[in-house]
Amino acid sequence: MKIYESSVKKPITTAIIFVALVVLGLFSYSKLSIDMMPEIELNRAVVIVTYPGASAEDVENNVTKILESALSTVSDLKKITSTSKENTSIIQIEFNWGTDIDAGVNDMRDKIEMVKSYMPDGCSNPIIMKISTDMMPIAIYSATANESSEGLYKILDDGIANPLARINGVGSVSVAGAPQREISVNVDPQKLEAYNLTIEQIGAAIAQENINTPAGSFDIGSETYSLRIEGEMKESRLLNDIVVSNYGDKVVFLKDVATVRDSVQERAQESYVNGRKGATIVIQKQTGANSVDIMNKIKERLPQITKNLPKDIQVTEMMNTTDNIENSISSLVETVLLAFLFVVIVVLFFLGKWRATIIILMTIPISLIASFIYLFVSGNTINIISLSSLSIAIGMVVDDAIVVLENITKHIERGAKPKEAAIYGTNEVGVAVMASTLTIFAVFFPLTMVGGMAGIIFAQLGWMVCIVMAISLLCALTLTPMLSSLLLKQMPKGEGERYSKFYTPIKKALDKLDGAYSRLINWCVKHKRITISTGTFIFIASLFLFFGIGSEMIPASDNGQISGNFELPVGANVERSRVVAKRFETFINKNYPEVKNFSYTLGIPADDDDNTWAQMQTSGTNYVSFRVRTKDLKDRKKSIFEIAEGLRKELASYTEIYKYQVTAGGQNGMMGGSTVDVEILGYDFATTENLAKQVRQKMNELKGFRNIYISREDYKPQYQVEFDREKLALNGLNVATAASFIRNRMNGLTASLFREDGEEYKIKVRYDKAHRQNIEDIENVTIVNGMGKSIKLKEVAKVVEKFSPPSIERQDRERIIKVSATLYDETLDKATKSIQDELDKMDIPSNIGVQIGGTIEDQQDSFNDLSVLALLIVLLVYIVMAAQFESLRYPFIIMFSIPFALIGVLVALFITGGTINMISAIGAIMLIGIVVKNGIVLVDYINLNRERGMGLTAAVISGSKSRLRPVLMTTATTVLGMIPMAIGLGEGSEIWQPMGVTIVGGLTVSTLVTLVMIPILYCVFASTEVNKRHRKGKIKLNRRTNKD
Amino acid sequence: MKAAFIAYNQAHIENIEDILTQLSIRGFTRWQEVQGRGSKDGEPHLGSHAWPSKNMATLCIVEDNIAPILKKRIQGLDNDAPEQGLRIFFWDIIDV
Repeated sequence: MKIYESSVKKPITTAIIFVALVVLGLFSYSKLSIDMMPEIELNRAVVIVTYPGASAEDVENNVTKILESALSTVSDLKKITSTSKENTSIIQIEFNWGTDIDAGVNDMRDKIEMVKSYMPDGCSNPIIMKISTDMMPIAIYSATANESSEGLYKILDDGIANPLARINGVGSVSVAGAPQREISVNVDPQKLEAYNLTIEQIGAAIAQENINTPAGSFDIGSETYSLRIEGEMKESRLLNDIVVSNYGDKVVFLKDVATVRDSVQERAQESYVNGRKGATIVIQKQTGANSVDIMNKIKERLPQITKNLPKDIQVTEMMNTTDNIENSISSLVETVLLAFLFVVIVVLFFLGKWRATIIILMTIPISLIASFIYLFVSGNTINIISLSSLSIAIGMVVDDAIVVLENITKHIERGAKPKEAAIYGTNEVGVAVMASTLTIFAVFFPLTMVGGMAGIIFAQLGWMVCIVMAISLLCALTLTPMLSSLLLKQMPKGEGERYSKFYTPIKKALDKLDGAYSRLINWCVKHKRITISTGTFIFIASLFLFFGIGSEMIPASDNGQISGNFELPVGANVERSRVVAKRFETFINKNYPEVKNFSYTLGIPADDDDNTWAQMQTSGTNYVSFRVRTKDLKDRKKSIFEIAEGLRKELASYTEIYKYQVTAGGQNGMMGGSTVDVEILGYDFATTENLAKQVRQKMNELKGFRNIYISREDYKPQYQVEFDREKLALNGLNVATAASFIRNRMNGLTASLFREDGEEYKIKVRYDKAHRQNIEDIENVTIVNGMGKSIKLKEVAKVVEKFSPPSIERQDRERIIKVSATLYDETLDKATKSIQDELDKMDIPSNIGVQIGGTIEDQQDSFNDLSVLALLIVLLVYIVMAAQFESLRYPFIIMFSIPFALIGVLVALFITGGTINMISAIGAIMLIGIVVKNGIVLVDYINLNRERGMGLTAAVISGSKSRLRPVLMTTATTVLGMIPMAIGLGEGSEIWQPMGVTIVGGLTVSTLVTLVMIPILYCVFASTEVNKRHRKGKIKLNRRTNKD
Repeated sequence: MKAAFIAYNQAHIENIEDILTQLSIRGFTRWQEVQGRGSKDGEPHLGSHAWPSKNMATLCIVEDNIAPILKKRIQGLDNDAPEQGLRIFFWDIIDV
């Protein structure tokens, strides 16, 4: 028994199966979480090594180079980039796409282990991290305070960070910008000398006084007691009374040589939020946890948490990745619902029967809901990809059902009972329906195999559409016949007077359309040459539009966030930076009512800050980074791109500012639009820097480049201690010992930890601030050698002022400077071309390499992938059709609808001002499968007519006429289903708009053209076949006549 | 006794079965899928791409008095849906 036969005969089983499918789908839906994108495992890993006190060049030579050469042997490596800056070396490894990153990281670990012993002693252990989207903070809150600002860190850490961190899924909550408590022991060097003491001795004394020691256990009678010595201080002021030495018969207390302050760290970052000083609370999620779920929990908990805080502390949300997600998702849901509505209207319009319409529309929710099961089982989320897939599929899922239903109706009209009509009607078209679904598979299945970055996005799209289509095919073959057998009546009585009155004009219009179309075909068949040459002309003419359309990687999207930074000239202190930042803030408040929050951070984070997020960011006393959060899209007129452009203009007008950068869309790479990087590779600092400046100059002159930025930071003024090795040796010292003496006095020595309420605070011993303010202070540092002899630093070394590059960037083990720019109002390909032309004109030394990187690299890779994909898909579609028609000729005719789809794509993009990008390219690729469907329907029916004995021309004309409505109908459902996407509703829609535009444009034009061209081309191609057959027949006839 | 050969579109199966049951005709021989074409007009039933519909055939031996009723009923059915295609032919049965 065939599947449709059993489904018609067992309606309850069939219905129950579909109900079960829907229930399971809804269940999965309730368990699914929401996210922006499918989970992307980035192909990057980072190694971070800190080497305290080393300059950028030291770090480069002693750490970075060693690690780079070790890591360059890691398998599947694509690129190594590194940044060596003061104290830190950061090496970023990029693997080829699709590499198992865990295996890669293990490999890295092994390689690093091998060279670890070659690294300098003061280095920290290398930290190896996978970079994933999880590392991005999901939310940043800021807290401002008046009275409580001194103790802000502790209040926030205990009051907000800890409770938030307890929420399931929250990874880490760190507080930045609030100084942490520290107990500083500020020593007077003169007194120290007078008592013949060193910082190290004081540190040791503190460490020995502040200690708990377990002293074992002992028995008293029959009981065992343990013995402990609780030497740790209960209060910080007790430090004052520590005995640090005996001088003569007098005891020297710590208070005699130093002042103990229980206060906050000396240096810390400052953050301001909407004008008030405060701290930022950065929330990161656990790997694999869902941001939206977590944010919901945080939002639920936060009011309770903040209630217990001191009244003057205000917590504001600064950045929240999930609002954008939720808005995008809800606008996509709207899109899907609108698409559904449009499809309903189209089906009702063409069929004119509500029962038939209901039967067909049943397929939509079932196939869409059932696809949630796939998402749930495969551990995916509801994201913009999976929802857009639904939106794409919605117009196509009804196609199969329409074909089946149409045939069943035909049988019923001829007098068959609905039940039999359902079985045999489905039987007749079953193969054709499967074949047309196969062409859709031929398009979407290859998408699941795309590699690279594009693959992550489009694999899911491919799977989703394939699954939705498979379910819709199942529906068309089982549910549709089953429902038809139950709902359709031999003499439709369901439609009353009112209804026919309403539908008659539509019917008349459709009949007129049929008539006009058949007259058109009639004329064209007689004027084949004119028709074909007109078609070819249109095609060629439209190709010229190609030059009017730019290309980019992924369209930028307005997510309501702008981030940026600006720098004052090096050496500017925090106070100067603050003044400029304040001015900038006033400007924003006055001119941009669209801005909801404005926050900025300046200064250097404390060097022992445990906040890795802050450590990874650039910072400096002259460096201000800011973040703008705009109001929701519907509440403002200006886009973030316009606002960002305005901010750039303002920053450009500040004479104090040395360089600045404003990035619309935040810094999460993909969404922020395209960048162009000119990479200059070469060892010599001066030459490369010079070249970089020339490139920047050129970019400034060219159109469309914004945020032009030279990646190498500026030379920082620096004092260097140059030891005289001979003198050192004479004094029995080595560089390391001497250096640690200087470090302990200037930077400080962490003597011990002070414990209170379960928290640990550092006890730092160093020179009093008054004694570390000029070169003499450094020169006067006393170093004590092994013999106990004190030596002044100036006896063995001199302190000189020098400039050093603050960070050295390398790529593939060569020094590099990148001049990067984001684009505004210019497309990537044109921008790249213009800068390439300029580069060609420049005089570049032979030992320096210059190349263009940035988004264009990824774009070329992805476009290459996509072209291969397009070819593969064309081939697959051809194969499916060739098998269906058992002919090589007819699929070839049908293939002509593809170039005509291109016309539509180009025209649509040209009119809407869109670009050729990943998304529109994917749209175009999908079109291949969608447009040939029309051709299949036409050719199939023309073939049928010929098999039924009609002449070629008659078959073409009557076949085209009778297939007009089904073609228009299936096209209309797909096109109208896409229109909400093409119009672009709500936040985040910019990304998917090009796909909608491409498909709507391409499919509309291609359908209109194929409706005329395919029948004519069919005539031309088939007539050669007919002629051949005739000739054969004639020869035979002649022989026979000869015999006679 | 007469042999009645009914050739009909598959979609008629239920109607034919009903008629046979109503006339208490118990015995029959049926061919599930047969091809056929009418002598004058109507669509061929070939199960091919061009003519996808298929026929069925039922042969039953009926009493002489039943035959005209059966003929009338079958023709009535044919008149209701002439496009489907339905024919009945009779032979005389010589021996059982």
